[in-house]
Amino acid sequence: MVATTFAWVSSPDFWINVAILTATYGIFALGIQLNKGTTGITNLAQAGFMAIGAYTFAILVVREGWNSWVAMLVGVGAAMVAAVLVGLPSLRLRADYFAITTLAFAEIVRYLADNSRDLTNGSQGLAGYNNDWFKLSLSMERRLDDAGIPTPGFLVPLALVSVALLLVLTLLVGALVRTPWGRVLRAIREDEDAARALGKNTLVYKLQSLALSAALAAVAGYVLAFNLTLLTPEQFDPVFTIFAYVIVILGGLGSYVGVVISSFVLMTLLEATRFVELPLPADRVAAVRFVIVGAVLMLLVAFRPQGILGKRQEMVLGE
Amino acid sequence: MSDAVLVVEDVSKSFGAVRAVDGATIDVARGSITALIGPNGAGKSSLFNVITGFERPERGRVRFDGRSIYRLPPHIIARRGLVRTFQLTKTLSVMTVLDNMLLAAKDHPGERLTSLVLQPRASRRRERTARERAGELLERFDLGPVSGDYAGTLSGGQRKLLELARALMLEPRLVLLDEPLAGVNPTLGRRLLGHIEELRERDATTFLFVEHDMEVVMNHSDRVIVMAQGKVIADGAPHEMRGNERVIEAYLGA
Amino acid sequence: MTSADAVSALANPRFPRVGPLGVVAVALAVSAFYLLVRVGPTALAQATVNGLVTGSYFALGAAGLTLVYGVLKLLNFAWGEYLTLGAYLAVLGRTAFDLPLGVALIFGAVATAVFALLLELSMWRPMRRKGAGMFQLLLMSLGLAFVMRYVIQLVAGTEVRQVGSNVTSTIRVGDIYIGRTQLWAVLVAFAALVTLAVLLRRTRLGKQIRALSDNPELAETTGVNTDRIVLVTWILAGALAGLAGVVYGASVGVITPTLGFGIVLSLFAAAILGGLGNAYGALAGGILIGLVQEWSTLVIAANLKIAVSFVVMILVLILRPQGIFGQARTAER
Repeated sequence: MVATTFAWVSSPDFWINVAILTATYGIFALGIQLNKGTTGITNLAQAGFMAIGAYTFAILVVREGWNSWVAMLVGVGAAMVAAVLVGLPSLRLRADYFAITTLAFAEIVRYLADNSRDLTNGSQGLAGYNNDWFKLSLSMERRLDDAGIPTPGFLVPLALVSVALLLVLTLLVGALVRTPWGRVLRAIREDEDAARALGKNTLVYKLQSLALSAALAAVAGYVLAFNLTLLTPEQFDPVFTIFAYVIVILGGLGSYVGVVISSFVLMTLLEATRFVELPLPADRVAAVRFVIVGAVLMLLVAFRPQGILGKRQEMVLGE
Repeated sequence: MSDAVLVVEDVSKSFGAVRAVDGATIDVARGSITALIGPNGAGKSSLFNVITGFERPERGRVRFDGRSIYRLPPHIIARRGLVRTFQLTKTLSVMTVLDNMLLAAKDHPGERLTSLVLQPRASRRRERTARERAGELLERFDLGPVSGDYAGTLSGGQRKLLELARALMLEPRLVLLDEPLAGVNPTLGRRLLGHIEELRERDATTFLFVEHDMEVVMNHSDRVIVMAQGKVIADGAPHEMRGNERVIEAYLGA
Repeated sequence: MTSADAVSALANPRFPRVGPLGVVAVALAVSAFYLLVRVGPTALAQATVNGLVTGSYFALGAAGLTLVYGVLKLLNFAWGEYLTLGAYLAVLGRTAFDLPLGVALIFGAVATAVFALLLELSMWRPMRRKGAGMFQLLLMSLGLAFVMRYVIQLVAGTEVRQVGSNVTSTIRVGDIYIGRTQLWAVLVAFAALVTLAVLLRRTRLGKQIRALSDNPELAETTGVNTDRIVLVTWILAGALAGLAGVVYGASVGVITPTLGFGIVLSLFAAAILGGLGNAYGALAGGILIGLVQEWSTLVIAANLKIAVSFVVMILVLILRPQGIFGQARTAER
């Protein structure tokens, strides 16, 4: 039995899957890092922004016949607009009120997605947005084959593209945070009144942080969509957001490289547990995973809030 | 008064049933150093908060340099040249001393997303000039040696100085100082007062400070305003305050 | 000033200005009139009855949530799960010990109260002692929600379970119907809420709870034993949550592990509408949210009614974040 449970180490399918999941959750969590680790705002709407991006894109392609790449841009735009609309009235509230507003927003989005059968097909799922990507993916596969690189499985191009995207975005956001603009965000995180006393319009900065995070969520949504080829509202469950916070805290609040590393570690562990044989029926096994994720979050927050890579002093703000 | 840089008229601010500021009226002459004193709970910090936009008063008028700043948000008031320091210092402990200073740089294109991306050279240039000015100010306040340290590692007195130096980065015309000398050792304190007087001479910067140290108030301010229970009860030259019955009563009764 | 004097001074009932209550009353009247014209008196009356039923267990659920928020300033995102726990424990009591529904109700409430107490002692209090900030506690409650919900799912499975309440017989008044169990639920909720109101208003304990929640600094300096009050509050809130869960489950007839999660945002909406920390507010807020949800089904698709309470919550946070009974300074930054 031990042999079976560790066969995944050498299985390329396993690592391809982990790569795609790392990219999906990683890009998603980059936004959370920007919001919480750098700006100090607790955004619980990220899954909602992801859904808005993914569904806007899919609806435009499937129902209106738009070009995929243009539709993806519009999806990012839609997510950013949603972020501004949510943030404008709620960012001036206390942190926990803002958190619950964002949580409620994410639930409304999911709820609407489930109930707008005409647009989204509800829980039956929306399919057929894949064509442009599929063509690109096939041509990439062919080129890799020609170059003599083995491509075990049709998801290899997605894995390559999404991981590349994750790395590029990590570098970009990391660089952005080290600019004077990022400096203002970091000031807001520690003491918003100090920033305002120095002439900074903190609401605008917080809105920008939220909007950029929503854009990242939308991109993560595209990776998810191409991976699954069918969009359903259940995929945008709040557990996504929980995962993201686990990733961000594990990797250390404020560390963007940490997001990549802890995303990879977490996804590897999570996927590996699929191979552990538990004497339980399928739905109970799923429950075990959720319990573990929730418990990990609680333990992290209780005993090691600075995560693995974070600096203790970054956490000493009494957050 | 035509050369009053700050005019506060009949301002009132209540918190529930407590009238923190009760019809306060003051004016501050340009280029003066004015002390605001009074027993605890007199409303001095609340008045500061109202003037600088951190609290919304129920009524009154506040004019800075001839323009109304009544109920404007704090960041706009700061940009117009009216800056403040806080009683409990708000230096950012997770950033270095230098970063604290750079944060305060005015009109920095690198702080706006669009100009950051579209005008990177302008941003770098402004960062350079900000560094130079920050370096000068830090030297003046003897904070040069610690400029690379996290502000969280500074002593209380050093933090007060950093907060003042940071406020000066904004090239203000009026600086409101909330207990600038509390926790600062006497030598440093004297230097700080020296800087303030120098700035007043050189740039006609106006200062309004809250202070409890009477020696400082008597010897270093041009005018003294006394508050008690939210109201302004006396206003004049320092020596006039000594014999003033209302002032004595306010302090004894508190 | 003795501790008792201070507590009395702090805990005097505060009535809000006519302002927010007046606005709510007018809004209700206008909506009622509009609906009356649009759908007729019978439909409106039926929806109102349904709304009062829903509102009664919303009020129960929101009361516990708001009490905990009041003394700890903790927004417990796991609150829905406390309701689910109560419902499942009550059903357990029925199936394992063959308890009648009334006894199972009490069992569920008491068991949840005990659980709440244990969790406070083993988790919340140590975290607070460590100096955990709002963000950490928020994430703890999110993690806790997942752990609770999925442990229940692990143990009890995802299938719906029958509560064993009578969901078929209805009582008819004119053209208006109300289920027998639902009527029972309303009465139970009403009794519990009245008891709560009396407890908060008349007993020393209640006054201390209110004092701590309105003005924690002053309450502490005048000798109110914070730790004890917090414990008692959790017990009370836990009992209310368990009760709410059972009542809700009984009204619907079946329970699932997502029972609580499904209504938790409505509970938050109710607590926020009434003013977080104010138990009377939770009562009012619960009834109002219940009414608004059911009335909304008269004009929009029934499956959108939960979105309506989300919208109400967001509107309240935008327009008057302190809710009907709250004080302005508590909500803004």
